[in-house]
Amino acid sequence: MKKILLMGNPNVGKSVFFNRLTGANVIESNYPGTTVDYTKGYMKGDSEDFEIIDVPGTFSLEAKDKAEEVAVKMLEEEKGALVICVIDASKIERGLYLCLEIIERGYSVVMALNMWDVAEDKNVQIDIEKLKNILNIPVVPTVAISGKGFKEVVLSIKKAASVGVKEIMERVGETK
Amino acid sequence: MEKKLSEMNYEEEGRVGSIKQDLKNKVAGMGIRVGKNLKMITKHPLRGPIVVEVDGAHTSLALSIADRIIVEVKK
Repeated sequence: MKKILLMGNPNVGKSVFFNRLTGANVIESNYPGTTVDYTKGYMKGDSEDFEIIDVPGTFSLEAKDKAEEVAVKMLEEEKGALVICVIDASKIERGLYLCLEIIERGYSVVMALNMWDVAEDKNVQIDIEKLKNILNIPVVPTVAISGKGFKEVVLSIKKAASVGVKEIMERVGETK
Repeated sequence: MEKKLSEMNYEEEGRVGSIKQDLKNKVAGMGIRVGKNLKMITKHPLRGPIVVEVDGAHTSLALSIADRIIVEVKK
């Protein structure tokens, strides 16, 4: 069964995401670091089933504490896994940092710009098409607590592929 | 004027001037890099952590880390 890792900064809604995808009932609370261990679940895709792993939040792949160590170790152990990178759209920069680190290590990534509603409230404008073109990965705006964008996330899983950082850098140069 | 991030006053704004080399990667993932604009939000008592605003998001840092980041304060 293909594995999917849910990764992202602390407190961006990974566990709510997990519950949405698997129908599980993981405890959510509005504090960073609520998930220090990991949770596993299963999801039915349209053609195949997936094992979903809710990874603790981390700011980068250079671990600074226990929860981050777990996160980095899990990523390293699951070489063939697909990663859904959950980003707080209202704090997109930090999320992109981690996401790029994951892409750099060769993983297939789907980017979920979660808390899209919060970003809209804060007047944060994100050009999704441009992000997609530069990164060449699926980018989906989502609201985990309401379920917005989840269908598209599941449909995007098939389209995710490993991309080269060098090519991304070249495309960044072109759009400048 | 340059000062340590830990010495900034409430509401004071500044631009990150330098970060100690071994700390650079550690804080980069939290959005703190050389050239970034910061605003001091809170300093907790008893040498507790500080909270700064970077790119519209709040980030807290241990005082020992804030001591090693130099900020060019806006007048």
